[in-house]
Amino acid sequence: MAAPLLEIKDLVTVFHTSDGRLPAVDGVSLSIERGQTLGLVGESGCGKSVTAMSTLRLVSSPGRIESGSIMFTTEGESIDLVTTPEKQLRQVRGGRIGMIFQEPMTSLNPVFTIGNQIAEAVQLHRKVSRSEARSRALEMLHLVRLADPEQRLDAYPHQLSGGMRQRVMIAIALACEPDLIIADEPTTALDVTIQAQILELLDDLRSRLGTAILLITHDLGVVAETCDDVAVMYAGRIVEQASAVELFSRPLHPYTIGLLQARPNVDARDSGPLETIPGMVPPPQDFPSGCRFHPRCSHAREPQCNVEPPSLREVSPGHFVRCHFAEEINS
Amino acid sequence: MRVSEEIEAAKPSRGFWSDAWQRYRRRPIGMLALGFVLFLTIVAIFAPAIAGTKPVVCSYKGTLYFPCLGYFNRSWESPIFTKDKFRGTYPKNLKQKDPESWAVWPLVFQDPYRRVRENEWPGRRENPSRDEGHPNRWNLFGTDQYGVDIFAKMVHGTTIALLVGFVSMGLAGSIGVLVGALGGYFGGWVDMITSRLTEIVMCIPTLVLILALIAVVEKPTIWKTMAIIGATGWTGIARLTRAEFLRLRQTEFVMAARATGAGSLRIMFRHILPNALAPVLVPITFGIASAILVEGSLSFLGFGPPPPTASWGSVLNSARSNLQLWWLVVFPGAGIFLTVLAYNLVGEGLQEATDPRLREAKK
Repeated sequence: MAAPLLEIKDLVTVFHTSDGRLPAVDGVSLSIERGQTLGLVGESGCGKSVTAMSTLRLVSSPGRIESGSIMFTTEGESIDLVTTPEKQLRQVRGGRIGMIFQEPMTSLNPVFTIGNQIAEAVQLHRKVSRSEARSRALEMLHLVRLADPEQRLDAYPHQLSGGMRQRVMIAIALACEPDLIIADEPTTALDVTIQAQILELLDDLRSRLGTAILLITHDLGVVAETCDDVAVMYAGRIVEQASAVELFSRPLHPYTIGLLQARPNVDARDSGPLETIPGMVPPPQDFPSGCRFHPRCSHAREPQCNVEPPSLREVSPGHFVRCHFAEEINS
Repeated sequence: MRVSEEIEAAKPSRGFWSDAWQRYRRRPIGMLALGFVLFLTIVAIFAPAIAGTKPVVCSYKGTLYFPCLGYFNRSWESPIFTKDKFRGTYPKNLKQKDPESWAVWPLVFQDPYRRVRENEWPGRRENPSRDEGHPNRWNLFGTDQYGVDIFAKMVHGTTIALLVGFVSMGLAGSIGVLVGALGGYFGGWVDMITSRLTEIVMCIPTLVLILALIAVVEKPTIWKTMAIIGATGWTGIARLTRAEFLRLRQTEFVMAARATGAGSLRIMFRHILPNALAPVLVPITFGIASAILVEGSLSFLGFGPPPPTASWGSVLNSARSNLQLWWLVVFPGAGIFLTVLAYNLVGEGLQEATDPRLREAKK
C-alpha cells in the first residue's frame, strides 16, 4: 500500500517559558489518506491548533518542535516537514498544503484587495504573469461561490462579511491546487447558517478536487457531517481515534463519551439539563500523572489510573483508544 | 445581512489611503498647509521662470534656446552665449547681436547671484544696496548689502529648503524603516543589535556632528549636510517602525501569509510595511520640518552651502552683520517659519487622518 499523504509520528511540540518546559503536543501520531477528511477534535487548549501549526512548522518562538516526524508524500516523493530546509518548506506551504484560519476577520491583509491576495498566492508558487494570476483569482472566486466575483476581485477585506472572507481564505488556500488543506476551526467565528455553507463548500471542493482535509474543530456536529476519520485529542495527546461512524456509534474513551453526552439532543423533547464533564483541561504545566484525564473521569480507579499512563491501543480494527478500562466501560 | 451586503457592494471600493485622504480633506488648515507645500514645490521647480535675468525661451539667430536652465546647471545654458560674449546680460546683447531675436522673460527680472546693473533692463536703475535697499517696486523683498535682490534669492533658495527636507528625510526614512523592520520582525539578537544601534545614534547631537564634519571635510556641500541630517535623523522612525512590526508580526494575516509560503523579506516589505506606513509617515513629515530648520540654523551660523548658492539661511546670515536692514530678517525668517509650520500641520493632519485612536477621540 502506498504511503499516506501525511503521516505525523510521535510529534512533540514544546513551549519553553518561564514556567518551564510545556509540552503542548506530546507524542501525537496521525495519518491522512489522499482525498480523505480527518477531524481533530478537542476542547480549547488541548493542543489541536499547535498540531496544525507544527505541520507547516509555523509554531513561533518560544514554541519548538522537539521530536517526531511529519512525512508528507506527494508525487511519489516523501519529505519530512520537520527537518526539510526552510526553502523547500516554503514550496509546500500554500503550494502543496493550504491552510485556513479560524478568524476570517483578521486573516486577510487589510491593505490589499482580495484579488491581489489570491493572485499573490498563485504567483508565489507558479511562474505566471500578473494577468494570468488575476484570472486565476477570479476563477477561484467562482469556485468558492462568492457572489459577484468580478466586482469582489477589487474589494478590500473590510468590505466583505465574515462568511465571504472565509470563502476568500479558502480560495487562497486552494489557489495552487494543494493536496491537503489544514482548516483550523474554519467555522468557529461564523454564525450557524454560514457555518453550514462553508462546510458544504469544503466538502464539495474535496470531492471535486480530491484534496484531503485536516479539519480541526471543537464541534462534534461538524465532525459527524464531514469527516471520514476522527481523532480526539486531550491534554496534548490523542485519546481515541476511529472512523467517524465507529466513533459515534461505539465511543470507548470516557472523554469521548463525555463529549458526546455534552451535546444537546435535538430529537429528545425534554432531556433535562445537559451532561457536563466536570473540571477543565489542565494547562501543560500541571498535566496529572498517569492518565491525563483521570482527575475528571468518573471511571477512574485509584492505583492504576493515576500512576500508569495508558498507551494508545487498537481495541478493534482501526479503532484506537488510550484507556486502561475501555472495554469494561463500554460494556 | 443581505441588505448590508448590497450596500457594501454598491459603494465603490475604497482603500486605506483614499479613506485617509477623505478624512484629511475635511481639515481646512491641513489642506491649506498642503497647498502651501505644493506651492513651494512649484516655486522650486519653476524658480528660474519666476525670478532671473536669463530668458525662459529665446530665439537667437534662428534657433530656440532655454538659457534659464543655466540656473539649474551651468552646462545647460547653451555655449553659444559664452562664445558671443553675452556675459550674463541678455536683454541688451540679444537685441544688439540679432535684431530678429525675441525672448520670453521671467516674471521678475532680478538675479539671485549678482546685482542687476543700471540699464540692464531698459530704463531700470541699478539695484540699490545697503540702507537704500528696502523693499520697492523693483525689489519686492529689498536687496542685501551688495544689492542682490532678496526675492530672487528666496525664490531660488526654495529648491534648497525643499531638497534638504526631502533628501535628508528620504535617507532617514529608508534607514529608519530598514533598521526598525529588521529589529521588529526578527526580534531576538537582531532586535538587540538594532535597538542598541538606534540608542547610540540617538545620543549624537546632529548639529555638533555637522559642524565637526564641516571643519574636517575640504569641500562642504549642501549634499553632505543633507547626508548627515539623514544619517542621524532616522532614530525616531526606526523606533516607530520597530513597534509597528512587533505588533503586526503577531497578526493572523502575517501568519496566513507565511502559510501561503511567503518568505521573510516578502512578509516584511509587502505585507507588514504597507500596514505600518501610516504611523511612520507622520514623523517623516515632522522630520522634513526639522531638517529645514537645521539647514536654516547652519546657514545662519555661516556653515551653510558656500556663497554663490542661494538659501534662506544664508540670507538670514547676511542679516547678522546688518541688523538694521530689517527686510533681510523678516522675509527669509517668515519663509522658514511658514514652511516649517506647514510641514508640521501636514504631519498633524496625516496623523489625525490615519490614526484610528485619534479619530475616535474626535467624535
